[in-house]
Amino acid sequence: MLEINNLKSRIGDTEILRGLSLTINAGEVHAIMGPNGSGKSTLAQVIAGHSDYVVTGGEVNYMGNDLLDLEPEERAREGIFLGFQYPVEIPGVNNAYLLKAAVNAKRKHQGLDEVDAFEFLKCAREKMAALGMDSKFLNRGVNEGFSGGEKKRNEILQMAMLEPRLAILDETDSGLDIDALKAVATGVNNLRAADRAIVLVTHYQRLLDYIEPDFVHVLSEGKIVRSGDKTLALKLEEKGYDWVREAASA
Amino acid sequence: MKRVALSIDELRKAVLRLPEGALTAIRAAALANLDEHGLPTVRHEDWKYTNLDAAIDISNRWLSAGATLASKDSLGESIEAIISSVDANWLVIANGQVDMTYFAETRGIEVVRFSESAAPFVMDRPLADLNAALLHDGLRIRIDAATEKPLGLLVIDESNAGAAVSQASVEIVVGPGCDAEIIEHQSSAGKDDHYGNSVVALQVGQAAMVNYVRIQDRHIGHVQTGRLSVSMGKDSRLKMASYDLGGRLVRNDIDIELGEPGSEITFDGLYLVSDGQHIDNHTRVDHRVGPASSSQEYRGILNGRCRAVWNGKAIVHKGADGTDANQANHNLLLSDNAEIDAKPELEIYADDVKCSHGTTVGQLDESALYYLRTRGLDKRQATQLLTHAFAADLIGRAPVAAAVDAIQSLVEARLADLLQEPAS
Amino acid sequence: MTSENLESLVNRRYEHGFVTDIETENLPPGLDEGVVRAISKRKNEPEFMLEWRLQAYRQWLEMQEPEWAHLHYAPVKFNEISYYAAPKSDEDRPKSLDEVDPKLLETYDKLGIPLHERARLAGVAVDAVFDSVSVATTFKDKLSDAGVIFCSFSEAVLEHPELVKKYLGSVVPRRDNFYAALNSAVFSDGSFVYIPKGVRCPMELSTYFRINAANTGQFERTLIIADEGSHVSYLEGCTAPMRDENQLHAAVVELVALEGAQIKYSTVQNWYPGDENGVGGIYNFVTKRGDCRGANSKISWTQVETGSAITWKYPSCLLRGENSVGEFYSVAVANNMQQADTGTKMIHIGANTRSTIVSKGISAGKAQNAYRGLVKVMPQADGARNHTQCDSLLIGKDCGAHTFPYMEIKNPSARIEHEATTSKISADQLFYCRQRGISEEDAVNMIVNGFCKEVFKELPMEFAVEAQALLNVSLEGAVG
Repeated sequence: MLEINNLKSRIGDTEILRGLSLTINAGEVHAIMGPNGSGKSTLAQVIAGHSDYVVTGGEVNYMGNDLLDLEPEERAREGIFLGFQYPVEIPGVNNAYLLKAAVNAKRKHQGLDEVDAFEFLKCAREKMAALGMDSKFLNRGVNEGFSGGEKKRNEILQMAMLEPRLAILDETDSGLDIDALKAVATGVNNLRAADRAIVLVTHYQRLLDYIEPDFVHVLSEGKIVRSGDKTLALKLEEKGYDWVREAASA
Repeated sequence: MKRVALSIDELRKAVLRLPEGALTAIRAAALANLDEHGLPTVRHEDWKYTNLDAAIDISNRWLSAGATLASKDSLGESIEAIISSVDANWLVIANGQVDMTYFAETRGIEVVRFSESAAPFVMDRPLADLNAALLHDGLRIRIDAATEKPLGLLVIDESNAGAAVSQASVEIVVGPGCDAEIIEHQSSAGKDDHYGNSVVALQVGQAAMVNYVRIQDRHIGHVQTGRLSVSMGKDSRLKMASYDLGGRLVRNDIDIELGEPGSEITFDGLYLVSDGQHIDNHTRVDHRVGPASSSQEYRGILNGRCRAVWNGKAIVHKGADGTDANQANHNLLLSDNAEIDAKPELEIYADDVKCSHGTTVGQLDESALYYLRTRGLDKRQATQLLTHAFAADLIGRAPVAAAVDAIQSLVEARLADLLQEPAS
Repeated sequence: MTSENLESLVNRRYEHGFVTDIETENLPPGLDEGVVRAISKRKNEPEFMLEWRLQAYRQWLEMQEPEWAHLHYAPVKFNEISYYAAPKSDEDRPKSLDEVDPKLLETYDKLGIPLHERARLAGVAVDAVFDSVSVATTFKDKLSDAGVIFCSFSEAVLEHPELVKKYLGSVVPRRDNFYAALNSAVFSDGSFVYIPKGVRCPMELSTYFRINAANTGQFERTLIIADEGSHVSYLEGCTAPMRDENQLHAAVVELVALEGAQIKYSTVQNWYPGDENGVGGIYNFVTKRGDCRGANSKISWTQVETGSAITWKYPSCLLRGENSVGEFYSVAVANNMQQADTGTKMIHIGANTRSTIVSKGISAGKAQNAYRGLVKVMPQADGARNHTQCDSLLIGKDCGAHTFPYMEIKNPSARIEHEATTSKISADQLFYCRQRGISEEDAVNMIVNGFCKEVFKELPMEFAVEAQALLNVSLEGAVG
């Protein structure tokens, strides 16, 4: 589904990704771990198409096409979803309105009819109930005045509504209490499917107790320095990131 | 109401009588400016709420009486009283005359008198021309190294012989990378009318850091106008706090130029206004480049028949991206005859900016008053306590440690006075 | 359609203007007492009206054009203006929608204007618009059953002189300001509304007005009186682009709310703003003021201002009656070379009077947009309250957003809160929306509409939808 080959990227004058390669197939769950500043979030933003991150080398192939050619909204309509580490507040813009506009933009792209308001609300309410979200959130401004946990649940709700092919969740676990973490994990697990890939970007093993990954990759200084199965995450938790750094420089 | 105009002819005569010297050409230029533009009137937007009639009236009387400066000799005791309350290195301008006797030569501070060597200084601004035209002397100060004691500037006047007018003019340059602490104290005494007009120009060098305190506790019957013009160097910092306690008619203009990137300024102010007083604070920050930040909070407490004006203006010029400008103004009105005119202005010509302002006018929090009364305080005590708390925050922000005690006791005393007045 | 197309369309209409005159109905350019008399005579006005106009004219002569606003424009040549033009005759208008420029119709479509109103808005001759006429007649019956007087100002002068005499100029005195004095001397026509005691006007006068609006010319005069305990909601203007051959517009609107009465006055202003170089465009110098004369009365102004080259207007409330309430909700958009200096005045005179101000300014292109507001609390206004929220949104590097709020507080029991913010649409917000599959243009529209939400919710429902669309059309091409 996604093939990243020797990807290099910088923000401003700082080089962050320094030749990263990674292959993700449909049906897989990947966890990307690494210390602060290793390039985890950069990878997520480059895949989503943030213009601050300049790609200076390498290629990214998504569903057989060059991903880097596409505008952010085109990538989204092609099924890439980024769950933001810091979801943006958009005052005055109704949460339901944004969600419906996003769903319909994708449907239009797929040649489908727009979803009607009744259908949409029914679907949204069901998914919110599953996430333990009060349906009044639909009528509030996008992330406006939401707590950290509410924002993250809102991201998962959007993901559930948009049914992406490739979902990248950037530090979705940060700042969550245990109940919120479980709710988010349940939301993600419900979306696991044979035709869908999920990438969890995280600093800690904690999330992986609830969402079991098929692969774990460790990022250091803009490269994947180690890949393995879920036991790698446990080992990392035990030995710390210095172990990886040492291993990388050895 | 009868409008009074400054008598330019009398002024010209007075200027011509001043001793020839380094300042002669500057006086002539200032006089010409003044002749052309006159003094501002309430028809000028920036002077909408403050009319200078009282200042003009005193000036005219002083001019027609010969425009002489009173001797500064009688001020010794008053000066001692003030400078003994703050441990600083004091430069004094008394009745418009420079007095260096309280100043200790210190490495890192260089002081030159205008009368010895004049150079261009702030003009073309309302009242700065009047200042320059009538100037006997002034101070140019250069600070190039941090000093043990803060620098003190005391402007003090006494009027006991009819109407008196005096000018003070000071230029301060703080060198690159230098830390400086400055205290400006304006005070006056005497039974007769007085009008004091001051101009201070402060230049903060690259990466320099200046902490500045302004205290104004003029006689309750005196008039003061003061201008402080600041220009900020690259990556420089300024922390300032102003305390306006006295004066019948007071007008302060603070102009700050942010012409280099990376500067950061905060300036706060407290004004305590009671019967018969009119205190006007006009501030203006010109953000010419970014990134830079400016932040100000002024608070006022008004009791009795009085009026306060606060006008804070931030101008973000084209291209000043990365500007962060905040203004806040809060007022407590304690009596029926008090008036506050507040005007927070933003003029923005760049888009990558964060600007905000907030202004409130109100009273003490009823629930807090009630709470204190349930704890046994009477209404008057509770009112005083909360009013002090409203002011205390600003006292706490005085950025020069050596001055905090003095400010505390001046503000407390003034507040006690102000609250004596029957709150109706 | 791009905004350039829209503008060139409007420009074309200008070329077809009144240059060659059909009849000799127009007075020659210039203003003197003779012109004032001629205007009054043509309208068959009674003596009191002529006398009123003449006094206004004499006062105007002594007044000076205001210069304090944050506006820069070529001086108006008052002696080159023709102060009376007869309404267009039907022969000069398109006979049906088929004759109307398809691009104009496309704009109506974008704005979501109902089909039956399009012909009227496009200036199709009245007798060709069968639907509207019948709709209007139904409305008229309904209003007269309720005792509501709603007619043109000229008609009111003839039919209800006692009401006109009593209230005209009682809120905006003739010599209130330069433009108000000019309007008082030469006003062409406008609307008159009287709602009797205790009557709740059976319909939004907006609906009626939109269908029945005649070309009222450049010096419009509106007077609305809500008698004790009555209610009325009135909408002026419309979202469709308004064409006019006159560059100077100086309207006066007076509202009087007696005890317990409520007036809601909504405006959508979309006069021709000039082209992207600032050529052409309407100068809109308006005086609007409401007088909450009775206790417990309420006047609410809502405005969406997207048009005009120059806008100078401050819909205000005099809060005289105890417990009276004033509200001002405003969205002002300035794009290209437009300049707006607009805001409100809330004058608290009575005890326990309350006011709310919500102003949303949007600047784009090279436009300058200023909010200017006054909150004044008089010594006798015990317990006055005001809350002001004043936000500016900047789109692009070459525009300006300015805030000039004045607070003059002379009563110690007043509680006044003023907050203002300035921001731009953040790159983060745009990226977030785009990551959800929404195009940049849609994202901008969405964010702008969100910014204005508090004001739109005050508009009558059908206009809120159109106003949102109008905003999108006005800002076309502003981003990207």
